[in-house]
Formats: sequence, structure tokens, C-alpha cells
Amino acid sequence: MSVFVIRPVTALWILVALPIAASGSEDTIDRTVAAQAQGEVQISNVSGTVDVRGWDRNEIKVTGDIGEDVERVDIETNGGRTVIKVVLPRGSSHDGDATLEIQVPRMSSIEVSAVSADVSSRGVLGTQRIKTVSGEISADVAGDNSEVRSVSGDITVRGAGKPIALRVSSVSGNIDLANAAGKLDAVTVSGDARLQMADINEVRGRSTSGTFDLRGKLTHDGRVDVEAVSGDIRLRLAAAEGLSTEIESFSGDIHGCLATSVERVSKYGPGVRLTVRTVEAGALVRAKTLSGDIEICDK
Amino acid sequence: MNRRLTRVDELKRDIPPGRDLWPAISAAIEADKAAADAPPSMARRRAAWLPAVGLAAAVGLVAIGVLIGLSFAPQGATPPVVKTQTGGSPEMMPAAYRNQRDALLIEVQAKLSSMPEVERKKVASSLATLRRSIDEIEAALGRDPANALLQELFVSSCQEEMRALTAVRDSGSQET
Repeated sequence: MSVFVIRPVTALWILVALPIAASGSEDTIDRTVAAQAQGEVQISNVSGTVDVRGWDRNEIKVTGDIGEDVERVDIETNGGRTVIKVVLPRGSSHDGDATLEIQVPRMSSIEVSAVSADVSSRGVLGTQRIKTVSGEISADVAGDNSEVRSVSGDITVRGAGKPIALRVSSVSGNIDLANAAGKLDAVTVSGDARLQMADINEVRGRSTSGTFDLRGKLTHDGRVDVEAVSGDIRLRLAAAEGLSTEIESFSGDIHGCLATSVERVSKYGPGVRLTVRTVEAGALVRAKTLSGDIEICDK
Repeated sequence: MNRRLTRVDELKRDIPPGRDLWPAISAAIEADKAAADAPPSMARRRAAWLPAVGLAAAVGLVAIGVLIGLSFAPQGATPPVVKTQTGGSPEMMPAAYRNQRDALLIEVQAKLSSMPEVERKKVASSLATLRRSIDEIEAALGRDPANALLQELFVSSCQEEMRALTAVRDSGSQET
């Protein structure tokens, strides 16, 4: 009868290597699934990062590092819809970091939902809906009807210079938008909004206490409607065919190169108003504040 | 040919005007009298009614705005109303709006308490700013209830508060 004997040194090696091998398999993810060229990709992660990249293959590739508090990463494809979800253990009080890089077909529509995870998106041409709680968002957006929103995270969006409808909103985060065009809805409570646009068809904006700064070129019938409470509004809007303004502040000032005929709203009460009409019909800029100042210029 | 006068008493006692001025003068006096009798009360009444009409218009506007704002409000069961730190005393708001807002605030407080401290402070500060703004507008409206700008800002600020509260409440929900 033969007896299989394990030497003590070998046994020690096995004991050490087994947990390392087991945990090593959960440390990283590298999976590729087939996808449709214009499919929908939904991604959710709590903490860490989500980097989405558009590429020219009809596949979705998910790579990254998975923290030890993450239970697993689910990737499910059903028809044209793929769901990628970082799953934490039930009742987990840990953040469970996951650092994901996700390559998707360029024309995909994406929907990203995160808590404290930072989200970035590059080279995706379909509609994008990105939301975080405290995570920062940095996105190149080209798809129509896109939406980017956060609670306290800062938002940086770069448009493609072609007209789309875009909504950007934050509660306390700053909004930084460049090279957008078309229709924009931008809202912030206490964050500052710096918006630079090419052709403006319509902008609706609101800030409570943050500064709202909009620069761009109004189309011939472009509309800008901005409102702030205590925040300042700065508008630098070129209008080749002229523009009309309806600007009013309850207790703030109105100034800037177009503010040549500011008048008091009432002889006895507070309030100033600027009504300029350089064209009978065409581009119109409306702005109002409670106590914030308004600067308006067309240069 | 005109005769040269040599004495003052040779001047005519009456010099008739080119046209009869009395009808216009009489009409002006009558108008003044009318203004002094009936119109004083009208003027006073107008002055007294103006703020009330303005206030009614403001409340009407708020009600309309609030109905729109309620579309942001939570659906389903309404938890009991409690006072919260960010809750003010929005007297101009309809009761239904106040109830919805208070219910939303409870959920928001729960959400805030689950946030990391830095983030919680940042968001709570923004919500407090929003509430302060509404209070400021409300105070200004109290002094100038007919001001259309203030009415507009008040309605949109109430809607914005609901939007922000809803955004905080729904933050971090895993929809996928």
C-alpha cells in the first residue's frame, strides 16, 4: 500500500498560493461580448471610475480592476441591450471600488449611473445619459437628446459643434460646457455654469447663487432665456442679424456694451430694465435676476 | 380809422374774447368736482385694492407653478409631515404643495445622512441657499406683491427647489 505524502514545504506553498490564485481571479475583469452597432449600453457602478470609449467594432469589451468589496460584475446582453453592473454584497457598507474601462460600438446609446465613481466618455456618438451623485463627469457628447447630471460632482462636457438637444444639471457642482450647439437646458443651484456654444438655437438656463456665463452665436431666430436669483448672469452673444433683449433685475445692476439704455422699472421702487430692439423679429435674449448683476454684450 | 385815446376812462369796460371760453372752464371745474366727490373714494379704493389684487395674482401664479412643480414630487404614500432643518415657512405655498415638499424633505434628509460628510455639507448648503433665495423673494413679494418679476422668480424657484430635492432623493438609485 502506497501512501501519498506531502512534504511540509510543499503544503505551505499550496496553502499560500491557493488564496492568492482565488483572489487574483477576482482582481481584474476582461470580458468581451457581441453587441449591435447602434445598441443600448447601461452601466452602473458605485465607486471607482467608469471610462467609456467608442470604437469601430460590434463588440463591448469590459476591462478593469475590481476591489475586494465588490461581489461581481454582471454583463448581460439581450437583443440590442447590454447591461453592465457592478454588484456589491447585499447590505454592504463599503464602497466597493471598481475601475472599469468599457469599449462600446461608436454609435451606441449609453446610460451611466454612478454614486461616487467618476465617469468619462469619449468617442461615443449616440445619445448619452450620465448621472452621478458626487462623482465627476467628463464627457464628449454628440448624440441628440443627451443628458448629463450630478448632485455635487463637477460636470465637464464637450460638444461636437453640431446642433443637438442637451440637458445639463447639477445641484452644487460646477458646469463647464464647450463647443456645444443647438438646444441647451442648463441648471445649477450653487455651482457656476460656464457655457461656450457655437450656434445657439435655444438656451434655457437657471442658477440660484452660482454665476451663469454664456458665450455663443445666436442663430437668426435664436432664443436665450436665463434666470438667476442672487447669482450673476454674463451673456456674450454675437448676433449677425441683430437681437432684441428683455432684461430685468429687481435689485442688481445691468451693464455691458449693450446696456446703453438701462431704465428704472419704477420711479419709487427698486428695479432696472433694459429693453433693446435692434431687429423687429429675430434673436431674443431674456434674462432676469433678483439681486444678481447682469452683463450683456454682443461682441 | 382808430381814434386816439387821451384819457384812461375812455377805455372800454369789457373786451369780449375771440371765442366763448366758459364751456371749457366749466367742464374742467365739473370734472374737478367729480374727482373731488366720487373719485376720491375710488382712488382710495384703487390704492387699497392694488396690493390685494397683486397678492391674489401672485398666489394664483404660485398655484399654477406649484401644480407644475408637483410633477417632480414623489409618488405614492405620503409620510407624516415633520419640520426639517432646511424647511422654512413658505406661507404663500398651497397646503398640497407644502405637504408634498415636506414629504420629499424627509426622504432627502435620509439620503443626506447616508452621504459622506463633505458631500453632505456641500449638498445641504446648496439646498439651504435655494431655500434662502425663496425666502428672500417671498419677503420682497410681501413688500411689492404686484411685481411680475418677483412672481415669476418665486414660481420658478419653488419649481427648482422641487427639482433639486427630487434629484437628491433619487441620487444613487440603481435603475439598471
